[in-house]
Amino acid sequence: MFRLTIKQVLAQRLRLALTLLAVVLGVTFVTGSLVLTDTSQKLFDDQFRTATEGADFTVRSAAAFDSAMGVEVERDPLPHALLERVAGVDGVATAAPVAKGQGLLEFDGDAIVPAGASLLTTWVPEPLGAFSLRAGTAPNSPDEVVIDVATANAHGITVGDTVTVRAEEARPLTVVGLVGFGSADGLPNSTVAITTLASAQHLLGLGDGFSDIMVVKTDAAGPDFETTLTSALGASYEAASSRDLATASADAAKGSLEYLQIMLLALAAASLLIGAFLIANTFSIVITQRTRELAVLRAAGATSAQLLRSVLGEALLVGITASVAGVGLGIAAALGLRQVVGAFGVPLPDGDVSVTPRTIAISLVIGIVVTLVSALAPARRAASVSPIAAMRDNTAGGASLGRARTAGGAITAVAGVAAVVTVVAGAPVALLGLGAVLTIVGLTLLGPVIMPPLARVVGRPLHVLGVPGQLAAESAARAPRRTASTTMALALGLTLIMFVTIVASSVKDSIASTYKEVISADYVVESARGEMLGGLPPMVHHHLSQLDEVAVASRLQYGHWRYGTSVRALTAIDPDTIGEVASVDMVKGALADVAAGGVVVSEQVADDLGLDVGDEIPMTFARTGEQQMEIVGLIDDQDAQALSTDYLISLGTYAKVYTETMDASVFLRTAPGVSAAEAHSAITNALADFPTAEVRDQAAAISGRTMAVDQILGLVTVLLMLALTIALLGITNTLALSVIERTREIGLLRSVGMVRSQLRALVQAEAVLVAVLAVILGTALGTGFGVATVVALGQSGPLSLNLPISQLLLLMALTAAAGLVAGILPARRASNLNELAAIAQG
Amino acid sequence: MLATLESRTSTALAVQARDVVKIYGRDETTVRALDGATLQIEAGRFTAIMGPSGSGKSTMMHAMAGLDTIDSGQVLIGSTDITALGEKQRTLLRRERIGFVFQSFNLVPALTASENIALPLTLAGKRPDPAWMAELASVLGIEQRLTHRPHELSGGQQQRVAVARALIARPEVVFADEPTGNLDSRHGEALLGILRKAAHEMGQTIVMVTHDPSAASHVDRIVFLADGRVIDELEDPTVPAILSKMAHLEAPSTRIGE
Ligand SMILES: Nc1ncnc2c1ncn2[C@@H]1O[C@H](COP(=O)(O)OP(=O)(O)OP(=O)(O)O)[C@@H](O)[C@H]1O
Ligand SMILES: [Mg+2]
Repeated sequence: MFRLTIKQVLAQRLRLALTLLAVVLGVTFVTGSLVLTDTSQKLFDDQFRTATEGADFTVRSAAAFDSAMGVEVERDPLPHALLERVAGVDGVATAAPVAKGQGLLEFDGDAIVPAGASLLTTWVPEPLGAFSLRAGTAPNSPDEVVIDVATANAHGITVGDTVTVRAEEARPLTVVGLVGFGSADGLPNSTVAITTLASAQHLLGLGDGFSDIMVVKTDAAGPDFETTLTSALGASYEAASSRDLATASADAAKGSLEYLQIMLLALAAASLLIGAFLIANTFSIVITQRTRELAVLRAAGATSAQLLRSVLGEALLVGITASVAGVGLGIAAALGLRQVVGAFGVPLPDGDVSVTPRTIAISLVIGIVVTLVSALAPARRAASVSPIAAMRDNTAGGASLGRARTAGGAITAVAGVAAVVTVVAGAPVALLGLGAVLTIVGLTLLGPVIMPPLARVVGRPLHVLGVPGQLAAESAARAPRRTASTTMALALGLTLIMFVTIVASSVKDSIASTYKEVISADYVVESARGEMLGGLPPMVHHHLSQLDEVAVASRLQYGHWRYGTSVRALTAIDPDTIGEVASVDMVKGALADVAAGGVVVSEQVADDLGLDVGDEIPMTFARTGEQQMEIVGLIDDQDAQALSTDYLISLGTYAKVYTETMDASVFLRTAPGVSAAEAHSAITNALADFPTAEVRDQAAAISGRTMAVDQILGLVTVLLMLALTIALLGITNTLALSVIERTREIGLLRSVGMVRSQLRALVQAEAVLVAVLAVILGTALGTGFGVATVVALGQSGPLSLNLPISQLLLLMALTAAAGLVAGILPARRASNLNELAAIAQG
Repeated sequence: MLATLESRTSTALAVQARDVVKIYGRDETTVRALDGATLQIEAGRFTAIMGPSGSGKSTMMHAMAGLDTIDSGQVLIGSTDITALGEKQRTLLRRERIGFVFQSFNLVPALTASENIALPLTLAGKRPDPAWMAELASVLGIEQRLTHRPHELSGGQQQRVAVARALIARPEVVFADEPTGNLDSRHGEALLGILRKAAHEMGQTIVMVTHDPSAASHVDRIVFLADGRVIDELEDPTVPAILSKMAHLEAPSTRIGE
């Protein structure tokens, strides 16, 4: 008896641990995501606050908007004369001119290419300047530079070494000092080079102009100082208060994190949903195990409400404990998550994690609510246990499943599938999400009804294993709720992975085939860093076009603009040469027509905006404000995609509205009679001075364009794998509990001669069966949703279906195999059960 | 008394247990459930084991059936020393040479009655002999129930299915631990009649643990256990004879409350 008690306590602990685990993992994910994004945002805030702290105002050229798509807009340089004007304004104590921009560092002949910016700026002593000297001296002469401690440490640069700073001009400079940024050793994912004003102006090609002027006001300056300053500057220039500036810059940086946050939280939600299935499952198994105890309580006079409360009370306890643990783990996991995200090409600022009360509150509430809601159905079942259940010996195959539930499930599932089908047939894509949710909800309701027959059919091949296989299939079929929720949890994870895999593969495939169809260039030169607006200095195009081996060098520039309040991107092309490197299909007009100053838009855009050739479209540029641009042609959607945006203007027009000089791509056609090897080496030689410029053939150019998709797919897959792991743990969990539940049956089987290996096979077979059921369901749902999405999107844009069959098969095989692994522990547990336990319980 | 037991060696012995010691627990809490029990079961006879609660009847049966290991002594099934066997060999031995009927929960809920009956054979990858299966079903009166699952059967029917399963592999010995414990007297009587018939008409060796004097009156021989030792036996018992033996045994039972 004593041994049994111990066993029961152990069983209890295991059960508790497994329930906790499902909640803990979900909450960990939520907390981790929130902490990571909070931390990144706070680090950005701190960084930009530090950067502008010293000055009260920053004077710069006026722009219609400050940033677009996470990138601050390019501004015209300030004329030299403005400095005197600013200095002369009443109340200005100090006016410090700054020249700053991108300046690549080279050391020992190698370019130092950080994930983020290569900042080149002007030395301004503290407290006005944000950088503080940590070693050596400030730059005093034009051939001196100071760099940040972090970069110096990372590349073994010491005071006295020579580095080359490459911007518009390149120049070797002596490192005379090292700086820190606030308490940090540098800027996140960046290099910092600081020179004298003259040197920075020269390197950046600013002549005697400035990027901006930092202003400190006198103590005597009144509250209307800002107005005084602004009016003294005139309309072409603006004075931004440092606080506004910091906020704006931080917002721009944070904007680029938004999609990451949405993605992480969506994945956290998915893993919580999966967790919810497992929680519900654990509770319902526990309720089944305790039916007799509950019935005795009922017989002794406990009301249904009391039982309901007692089960929910237990859930509350589990929810609280697990959420607290999850929050703790999530805070710890945030740093790991940053590594994972970083590994997939999303650089986040490094620094201490910041945990806000909001994060803790949200995570706790979510964890507790999810647990309670998941436990609700089992709790209601507990409350409906009848007092006579205590007298029944063998509880039969499972309580009856409500007919209303079955009908509701069927209707919901059919409605969901119908919605998905109508989307494929042409209904708005937005319906798809609703359809997917309805289908999943419907299937969840139907699960316990469809699982038994499905398990029997799918489990048929298991019969070759003999009695163990037959019993495995029966066991899955006879516990419909348990099998349904374990299967659904895993199937959901698989659905998501398959969905993103199919969509991503289709997107990549479309990008590749469009590129191949449209771009006829032999080579394309692009920046290896993948800057949003491209990062090729103009000299790259210049050098390339001089090469004998190159017949045509046609360059592309990108820019941001606004249509109303929405930010859009455009591509500037060379109307004279684009035809030689790309075969563009026009729906109306000719691409070369943009030479006159108009814009070519994609057919899709023209449709959406209700515009046609000859109409005008209002485009707002940061520098020049709103401008009416005439539409001179309509381009085929696919071809627009190959040129990256839906709006095409000429390089000439671009130069009028942007100051940006960087090229995004240079397309090359080699001269006739030049071999590929000759051309490649000539191009490579010409790029020797531009370490970030990379020559790509067609395949490399395509993979450069699909890299972002790959990165997102990779990140999503890794995170979904976590969710999948939770679901697999669910199989382990459920089977371990079911082994406990079936102790007597196992004991009986052992006593009539089932050997341990047969018992292990029984449990493993059930695990694999559940995994295979999930694979079937997940594949059906994931492929269905994926195909529907691609087909639906393909109706309104250049996207065609590409099923990555081998990848999908691999996923299916891996999941089924993972089922086998998930079964190991419960199988071992079952085979270690003492056969006497069964008899002792009798 | 031991002399009487040993004088019967001329009859074939299905099970022999010698000086079996089984100790539960460790340190201060040890219980000597079997304390040198010696006992022989003759082939083809229906034997009962009786004794006060806690005297070690179930433990003895588990030890003889190879369900549990013992701490010292020896158990032979036929001529096989099962104390020398490993866990797996004991399982295989149970499957092939031993049958079981427990007090309750005898059947695997997921399997039909006939599948439950065939279990020891199918586990070994064999098929039951249909004629034998049909005969057992008809003798036990469960022909109409073979495709039913356990929860669709009455308690008595379940026990009869369990008896059929115990007999299907034609084992050397069938062990039954209080097989009628959960049945009313009518169904209990019927089951005992079947067991008796199996012993007498099919020559099946049967060992049954029971508390119930009237159940025990169906058997050929009763072995009495007390404090983990065999202390007495009774041939061709009648209810009054059993009751008087038991009165003797129960008298000092105050010291059994361990
Ligand atoms: N698993 C165990 N752990 C510890 N002690 C045990 C265990 N199983 C049995 N015992 C003890 O061993 C002794 C014999 O138990 P056993 O079950 O063989 O008695 P029994 O004669 O079958 O009794 P009953 O007529 O009540 O079934 C008892 O004292 C019992 O408490
Ligand atoms: Mg007993």
